Amino acid sequence: MSCFPVQGGLILQGANSSCRNSTMDSQRVMDYLTEVEVAAEDVLADKQQIVDLDARRNRNREAMNALRNNASDNGNYKVKVCFGNMFIKFPKESTKSMIQKDQEQLEQEINDLRKGLKAKVNRLNDLQGKPELRGYNLSPLTGDELKAMNSILKR
Amino acid sequence: MAAQMTTTKVPEVRDLTRIERIGAHSHIRGLGLDDALEPRQVSQGMVGQLAARRAAGLILEMIKDGQIAGRAVLIAGQPGTGKTAIAMGIAQSLGQDTPFTALAGSEIFSLEMSKTEALSQAFRKAIGVRIKEETEIIEGEVVEIQIDRPATGTGAKVGKLTLKTTEMETIYDLGNKMIESLTKEKVQAGDVITIDKATGKICKLGRSFTRARDYDAMGAQTQFVQCPEGELQKRKEVVHTVSLHEIDVINSRTQGFLALFSGDTGEIKSEIREQINAKVSEWREEGKAEIIPGVLFIDEVHMLDIECFSFLNRALESDLSPVLIMATNRGITRIRGTNYQSPHGIPIDLLDRLLIIATSPYTEKETRQILKIRCEEEDVELSEEAHTVLTRIGQETSLRYAIQLISTAGLVCRKRRGTEVQVEDIKRVYSLFLDESRSSQYMKECQDSFLFNEAQPSQMDMS
Repeated sequence: MSCFPVQGGLILQGANSSCRNSTMDSQRVMDYLTEVEVAAEDVLADKQQIVDLDARRNRNREAMNALRNNASDNGNYKVKVCFGNMFIKFPKESTKSMIQKDQEQLEQEINDLRKGLKAKVNRLNDLQGKPELRGYNLSPLTGDELKAMNSILKR
Repeated sequence: MAAQMTTTKVPEVRDLTRIERIGAHSHIRGLGLDDALEPRQVSQGMVGQLAARRAAGLILEMIKDGQIAGRAVLIAGQPGTGKTAIAMGIAQSLGQDTPFTALAGSEIFSLEMSKTEALSQAFRKAIGVRIKEETEIIEGEVVEIQIDRPATGTGAKVGKLTLKTTEMETIYDLGNKMIESLTKEKVQAGDVITIDKATGKICKLGRSFTRARDYDAMGAQTQFVQCPEGELQKRKEVVHTVSLHEIDVINSRTQGFLALFSGDTGEIKSEIREQINAKVSEWREEGKAEIIPGVLFIDEVHMLDIECFSFLNRALESDLSPVLIMATNRGITRIRGTNYQSPHGIPIDLLDRLLIIATSPYTEKETRQILKIRCEEEDVELSEEAHTVLTRIGQETSLRYAIQLISTAGLVCRKRRGTEVQVEDIKRVYSLFLDESRSSQYMKECQDSFLFNEAQPSQMDMS
């Protein structure tokens, strides 16, 4: 959370220069600060969202592992699945496919958030008058291409 | 950690200029300009040469914006007027991310490589390509690691690994391979590790602070790190800058990638260069790479001959061309390899493409300042009078000679257990070491007693 020093420095700076000016000016500063804060909040919210989604993804993964490993002591085709605050007996196969689907959706959501996050961080940097991060808009090399470059990159 | 964006350091593209001992220009830290590009009288090791520095500052801005790729600049002036210093200043202020290659004009003459090959390698060293690497990693602190060996002793091991970040904790089931690499890395509870998802490679970052105990018997190199924040499965993006020349070298098949380390690269086929160019421009179109035109600095450019100059003419036309900065101390002189005279020893057609920056001799005050800066750099204390005397010497003989005297006088001073260099020390080294004009004076006087004096000095051949 510490990487967006929006709160401290900027407000002080803005306050100092605007207090002696007219209310028009202070209104403008307020608007500007609000805009920066909103942008920063947006970024933070997205980051938290990614964390939450990743936690869910990991729980799903644990569940999948548990389903797979308990295959030995079968006999019952149903497993207990917790929905909200209720345990329901549910067929194993459909539970698996359900989790799998959920997992894919989570993956997709995290990807989208990450993509959007870049634009948002850039906007925040722009608002704060910071330079754009270098190499930010590059798309990554594919694995094969990287393998070819490896001897340069990892000496 | 904004969106896990990490910009790594540039692979040492420019170790030549960066790792300097107390070299002749090690005190230069930049061009000494303020935000409005106006030069300060004394700043960042630069003194005087205001007009030249202002011009260099403009060029620097354009280089930073990537606007003037394929242009060339000539810094011309008498010996000892800070030409190389200005070039070094440009290099320093460009920062880590823009490639800067320096070479002296005579470096290109070698038996192993043709002149044009050496030049094209230098050109390509000065062009950076920025690329991005993206990997999914799992990063967390090991809470518990549990490995079950089968009772029979043979067969697959199974295990569990519990990892946590500040936000979450999860259990991974371990397969045989993972267990092997975990034991190989000697991972234990309390370590902060990353696992590359694609390759399964495990990397120990250090031990968690929360597990730090005074009585833990640990090696000196154990590093303590914070427990990672945020999600467990992260996306890591690393931006690399490599030079075109490096890509050339690993792809030039006869060499293999080992050539990069030995430094002996030999000649690179032009087909390979063309292929690389094609690949890089393909990457650029796909948004996978950015071209960073850097700076190629050729000192003593009058040492190049006519073939090199015509090569330069053509190379500057290429769309993958760096900014070329040249420096010379020659006036109107013969172009090497021809019988024609030309200003700076550079053909007129090339001169026509250049932006020329002139440097002028330093004034007494500036000389004094430079000597002071050098004294600080070389860790020599100079008394006020000695400083004045040295400035005088610098004015009458040459600045370089005066700078040479600093460390020698410092040594003399230390021999007599003094703390500050006095006028006597300066006098002593002045009498010990001749400057250029006294030396030639001495030659003229004692010509007869030297060997081979009967031969009349013939016209010196400068080719």
